[in-house]
Amino acid sequence: MKGRNTILAAIALIVGAGVAQAGPSSQVAWTVETVKLVKSGDPEKGKQLSAMCANCHGAEGVGMAPNMPSLAGQQADYTYKQLADYKTGSRANPIMSSFVAQFSDQDMADIAAYYASMPLPASGQGATGDAAAAKTLVRRGDGKRLIPACAACHAEPDFRNHHGAPKLEGQHASYFVDTMKAYGNGSRANDVYSVMRNIAKVLTDEELKNLAAYYANPGN
Amino acid sequence: MHIDVLEKRWMWLVGLMVVIMLGTIFYTALANAVHPPSNVETIDSTRLHLSEEFAEDKLGVETMADGSVRVTMVAARYGIFPQHIEVPLKTPVTFRIATPDVLHGLHIPFSNMDTMVIPGFVSEVTTQFQFEGEQPMFCNEYCGLGHHYMWSRVKVVAK
Repeated sequence: MKGRNTILAAIALIVGAGVAQAGPSSQVAWTVETVKLVKSGDPEKGKQLSAMCANCHGAEGVGMAPNMPSLAGQQADYTYKQLADYKTGSRANPIMSSFVAQFSDQDMADIAAYYASMPLPASGQGATGDAAAAKTLVRRGDGKRLIPACAACHAEPDFRNHHGAPKLEGQHASYFVDTMKAYGNGSRANDVYSVMRNIAKVLTDEELKNLAAYYANPGN
Repeated sequence: MHIDVLEKRWMWLVGLMVVIMLGTIFYTALANAVHPPSNVETIDSTRLHLSEEFAEDKLGVETMADGSVRVTMVAARYGIFPQHIEVPLKTPVTFRIATPDVLHGLHIPFSNMDTMVIPGFVSEVTTQFQFEGEQPMFCNEYCGLGHHYMWSRVKVVAK
């Protein structure tokens, strides 16, 4: 069984990497049908379907380790898109791809609705940077490097982000940095039109650490 | 009804000014063929990244067989992709631009490249750049919180 999983994982990795290189960065299109599907998500069904997810993402939607993302309070459209991207191989991760393979589009909408029904985590683990130093980037960006303010897309907690932009508050700092580095080196490429890859590749390690600290402790 | 001579003169003067100004506008519009964008071409904005022409790896500058240049771009919250382009001086450059989200407007200073980018439509503008150097291309239709960060770099180089 374990051997079969490893082989499956290897296949998923090869296929996933191949798909991520060429073609569209995501197969998800925000058509009226997709928006309605995500809205129709049933949190109760999602709760039943996500029993396995809790092993890593926690019963309360808070990642069990600093490298496992918290999903609580995440916008349903974002969670849905990530699940769909794992399924089509637009986002490569052998573990996630093998889990998602069994889910239908409606299942993914239900799971997304379940996590969206929880409150955002109060704080994330693993912050080592200086949160205050990140405020300029969050609120003003850096025009010279073509970096928009983070808050332009990742709005304050009380406001909704537009499709494609996740909530970042309370995310584990280590996961935040890992994700941004993956965008920076292109190993994660499911952001349509390189919206995040363009930004991540020009941010310094220091800035990433500071931003991670800022979002891990949104109360500060 | 009695109208003072001075009042009458002013009425004629103001009337004449209105005629001259409207005349100037109509003359320049007709003589220079100023008109609304004539390229009416629809596209499904929600599936833009899955379309043939505006797929992510198809964006950029392409030189056509006749020596003219075609630039395929996407304006999306909050950026213009690709972020850096290089176009030749004094050569016909055709921009084809679409948006996957909301209304944007794109403008390049010191050129007549200026167009609205409307969801559901492809904007097409042909222009020739007369000045060498780097210019910003920026959004001039308010599109959301990040509107003022929405710009990219256009480098005009001599052939």
